[in-house]
Amino acid sequence: MNVSLHNLTIESFHEGLLNKKFSALEIAQAFFERIKESDPKIHAYLDLHEESALRTAEAVDLKVKNDEALGPLAGVPLAVKDNILIKGTRTTAASKILENYVASYDAGVIQKLRDEQAVFLGKTNLDEFAMGASTENSAFGPTKNPHDLTRVAGGSSGGSAAAVAAHMAVAALGSDTGGSIRQPAAFCGVVGLKTTYGSVSRSGLIAMASSLDQIGPITKTVKDAALLFNAIRGKDPLDATSAQAPEGEEPELINPSWDKVKELTIGLPKEYFIPGLELEVAEAVEEAKRAIESLGIKTKTISLPHTPHALATYYIIVPAEVSANLARFDGIRYARQGTADERGPHADVRGNKNRSALQEIYFTQRGRGFGPEAKRRIILGTFVLSSGYYDAYYAKAQQVRTLIKRDFEEAFKDVDVILAPVTPTPAFKIGEKADDPLAMYLSDIFTVPVNLAGLPALSLPARAQKYADRTQTNADKLPRDSASSQRMSATLPIGFQLIGRKFREVDILGIGQFYERITKTTES
Amino acid sequence: MSSPINKETLDHLAKLARVEINAAEEEKLLHDLQKILDYVAELQGVDTTSVEAVTGGTELKNVFREDTERENTNQGAGTEALPEIQDGYLKIPPVFE
Repeated sequence: MNVSLHNLTIESFHEGLLNKKFSALEIAQAFFERIKESDPKIHAYLDLHEESALRTAEAVDLKVKNDEALGPLAGVPLAVKDNILIKGTRTTAASKILENYVASYDAGVIQKLRDEQAVFLGKTNLDEFAMGASTENSAFGPTKNPHDLTRVAGGSSGGSAAAVAAHMAVAALGSDTGGSIRQPAAFCGVVGLKTTYGSVSRSGLIAMASSLDQIGPITKTVKDAALLFNAIRGKDPLDATSAQAPEGEEPELINPSWDKVKELTIGLPKEYFIPGLELEVAEAVEEAKRAIESLGIKTKTISLPHTPHALATYYIIVPAEVSANLARFDGIRYARQGTADERGPHADVRGNKNRSALQEIYFTQRGRGFGPEAKRRIILGTFVLSSGYYDAYYAKAQQVRTLIKRDFEEAFKDVDVILAPVTPTPAFKIGEKADDPLAMYLSDIFTVPVNLAGLPALSLPARAQKYADRTQTNADKLPRDSASSQRMSATLPIGFQLIGRKFREVDILGIGQFYERITKTTES
Repeated sequence: MSSPINKETLDHLAKLARVEINAAEEEKLLHDLQKILDYVAELQGVDTTSVEAVTGGTELKNVFREDTERENTNQGAGTEALPEIQDGYLKIPPVFE
């Protein structure tokens, strides 16, 4: 087999497979070799599914041998965020409280990909229950950025983004509640698609904030994002919020026509280009904007006036939903092994005299099973929903959310797509924000409005050409310290996002594909 | 409305949420929650007069289906993970004791 995993995309894998350049089994084995070599440094994976992956790859190879029809995802080695259920395997959401939980059914997206005979390499790391922007909230340790091992991979889908960036998977699934696909994709220099609310089934996604959570692809190219999105979208009877995919859109989604794309107008919201935006990021986003303009696509400045209130709105609504969603974990049904006998008196438990034996289990198991961020959000959510504070916090936030949605509706009367930065800074240092939840929350400032409005958004690398071939060894060679971060981070990826109208992934993926053609120099 | 959470409210909230919080956690949590609530308090300044609140995340309308028998439910799946089972049900300690 003479093929580099570095250049392997969903598209080129499919081509190579059909041309018998390699077998699905060879590629799957090569990925496991690479994972075993690279992942001890990066920690993108929590679990590997080697046996079942190789079996699926063999089944695909048999189809190739018999000249049977194969879909574009057949045999493609994928990584899956560990809050998405794969039947019969451990799914932890990176939480101690689910440490030994084995999924009893497949998530809707997994079912679809299984029908396509995609190969699941394993489950990737995340912030506990997808709460965080760095994977430092994982109960099993952080994922490191493949471009610089002293920095975070982003979060919460940090494991998925790092796996793709470090060539330990061709593509991956993540979930995005407030930026959890786009931000790690930006930090790791890969492509991430936050899909329209309702476009992809959440059946079998461990719920964090149900009015915002959405599954989507993390890939090396925009075309791959389109292929993977096309495979997982659509109505699922097991998710009442899921909707039918727009009809007849598929050809345009995969192979956009320039005639349509060139007619689109892009808006630049002035509220996103603020002093908090690091100069380096502003420059990279400006560069991306100019590249798109050079294609002949028109841009104009627009206003989304309620943007400054999005983060506060988000951090009221999310904890409220978290406190409800995480109430189901009683610490009994998915008990950690051995913990049943660990119960007993606890010196520092307040009021435990008044608790029943059952309550004692709840308090103890939930107290031990949830990490600090989960507890913080549970308590905060309980507070903003509590009698006397509900109107001032939760109801108010849901009203402001309406205003944020309206901003976008107004803007989309004038433009088709909105271009904005994904993050205020490139990947930050591991530990830099770990003790300061508010500082961590602030790194979501440009991504949360999209979720509040339920829109699709594509995160893609600005200045992709500058670091595309350096992924591997930078981290080992370059010592970094904060004093020189300005200069050194010239090799750190920076992302920008294209935000579309609801169910108009076709617009953002269309522009994205043409942008990619002029900025990416490698591949196939 | 700065710092509406004090030690007593925190204890009460932890009780409502059924989460045990030890003394060391309590201090940090109190500090963090106050900071976060100070930050989100800025929403009080937003004019939301006669603005409708968002409920749910979609504009989907209710969809009805026939109430017919369905096969392939996975009833009973997952019970193998339960620590103690009786007649197919999870066995727990007494609720009133």
